[in-house]
Amino acid sequence: MNTSSQPAAQPKLRLRGVSKQFLAARATTPTLAVAGFDLEVAAGEFVCIVGPSGCGKSTVLNMVAGLDAPSAGSIEMDGRAVTGPGADRGVMFQDYALMPWQTVAENIGFGLAHGTPGQGLSAAQREARVREHIELVGLTGSERKYPHQLSGGMRQRVALARLLANGPEILLLDEPLGALDAQTRLILQVELLRIWGETRPRSERKTAIFITHDIEEAVFLGDRVVVMSSHPGRIKADIAIDLPRPRRESVRAEARFGELADRIWGLIRDEAYRAIDGRVEANEPSKEETTA
Amino acid sequence: MSTIAASSPGARPARPSRRLALWQATALPLALLVAWQLWALTLPENTRAPYPSKVLATFFSLTASGDLPAALVQSLGRVLAGFGVALVLGVALGVAMGSSRALRDNLDPVIESFRPIAPMAVLPIAILWFGTGTPAALAIVSYAAFFPLLVNTVHGVSRVDRKLMQAAQTMGVPRWRILRHVLLPAALPSVLLGARLAMGVAWTAIIAAELAVGAKAGGGTSGGIGQMMFVYYAYSVDLNAIVVCMVVVGVVALAIDRLFRLAEHRLMPWRH
Repeated sequence: MNTSSQPAAQPKLRLRGVSKQFLAARATTPTLAVAGFDLEVAAGEFVCIVGPSGCGKSTVLNMVAGLDAPSAGSIEMDGRAVTGPGADRGVMFQDYALMPWQTVAENIGFGLAHGTPGQGLSAAQREARVREHIELVGLTGSERKYPHQLSGGMRQRVALARLLANGPEILLLDEPLGALDAQTRLILQVELLRIWGETRPRSERKTAIFITHDIEEAVFLGDRVVVMSSHPGRIKADIAIDLPRPRRESVRAEARFGELADRIWGLIRDEAYRAIDGRVEANEPSKEETTA
Repeated sequence: MSTIAASSPGARPARPSRRLALWQATALPLALLVAWQLWALTLPENTRAPYPSKVLATFFSLTASGDLPAALVQSLGRVLAGFGVALVLGVALGVAMGSSRALRDNLDPVIESFRPIAPMAVLPIAILWFGTGTPAALAIVSYAAFFPLLVNTVHGVSRVDRKLMQAAQTMGVPRWRILRHVLLPAALPSVLLGARLAMGVAWTAIIAAELAVGAKAGGGTSGGIGQMMFVYYAYSVDLNAIVVCMVVVGVVALAIDRLFRLAEHRLMPWRH
């Protein structure tokens, strides 16, 4: 389907020369978390960003969300500069960030009740939209429960429903499946693709940026996988995932899936080993690699 | 409560052990009351010493005459008004200090140097400025209730999960709505804890303030329950009436605390 990783003429999202410096506590010199980050994402594209922990993946996402300002470079959405957070870029946080004092239905309707997505909607329309999204993620019957009464997988569904109910144009997903057990994770990956609109034509899909440290997850979900290196966070490779959609569980058994996953692992293994233990050296040195 | 059930899980049903716990909790106080009453029987007829049956009789006569209810209403009214003032000021300043590190760093030394000054130590100035009536009592109560509310609100607000506010920002929620619909609910447990502690010290402070003011006001039932105690102490030397007042003060304090716990339960259903 979309074997090309070259985005269309007017990208949905464009990051140019983005870098981010932090002044850590008790540090005298600022640390460079992200440097020279260039990325273009086409409308309807699902881009996964992988990299070792601490490589600045989340920093990039926060800057696109408008929660953090870049120290240098520009971020544009539809050709207009991103200056702050907005409901056109919805975020799903790693730990879900659900309001503990609100029920499932109230959490899903939070943006509709208090934010710009609910403007111009009647109470009945908002309620209908909440209901629709409760059904979409399969939470019917749990509307009145509080987050602490839910399992990790259910909380993740609430966060996803809340994200989608606000109707964002870009989905920013920060390791949303990270806290789940392996089985739940596999099930929700398939479900996420369905909800994203895998079976619909590309023009009807949302644009998504998905952060993960799980290589197989990235290959399974993405149209492209952007591999990052750390200290500072840079793009090491940008790999097109030419697996057909819709993707079934069986795609994991295909040779092409294994090839792609191996190639990405080859790109980050050195740093992954170093992150675990500075003394352990990977067997083979990896080559700097850039495609696209 | 059910310590027996906890120590031997599954061995005994919960109900009898709860009854046992209740019995254990009341046995000693009851025994003391009985001993006190028996001891009083050995005293001469015209003794001033208080004892249970006389205290009970005094309680009924003070209630029937309307003196005790009037004094109680007076004191409670002052506490509620003073608490209200402290609630508004303490929570407003607490939210401001909790959300601004700069404000917190600047105001903390001032707050911390006033906090150890007991409400009673402020009384002389309050009387000089506001006289011996309700305004002085209000000032004392507000002063006492202000600090627990402030400190707990600052604590609660400054510890609100930043991710929750960021999540609201990414949903296009304006700042003031984030304050109202994220920051305040997230800090509510701390604010309610502060309110409960504040109400406790407010009730303590009003009794002490009325006791101290009592001498100047010259008595009367409109002075609240503290002043009523002062009158029985300084004028009629009625120890039974003083004990009635003490018991009523204690019971009211307990009732206030229970009411707040009930409110916490109702206002924060997600915590249970």
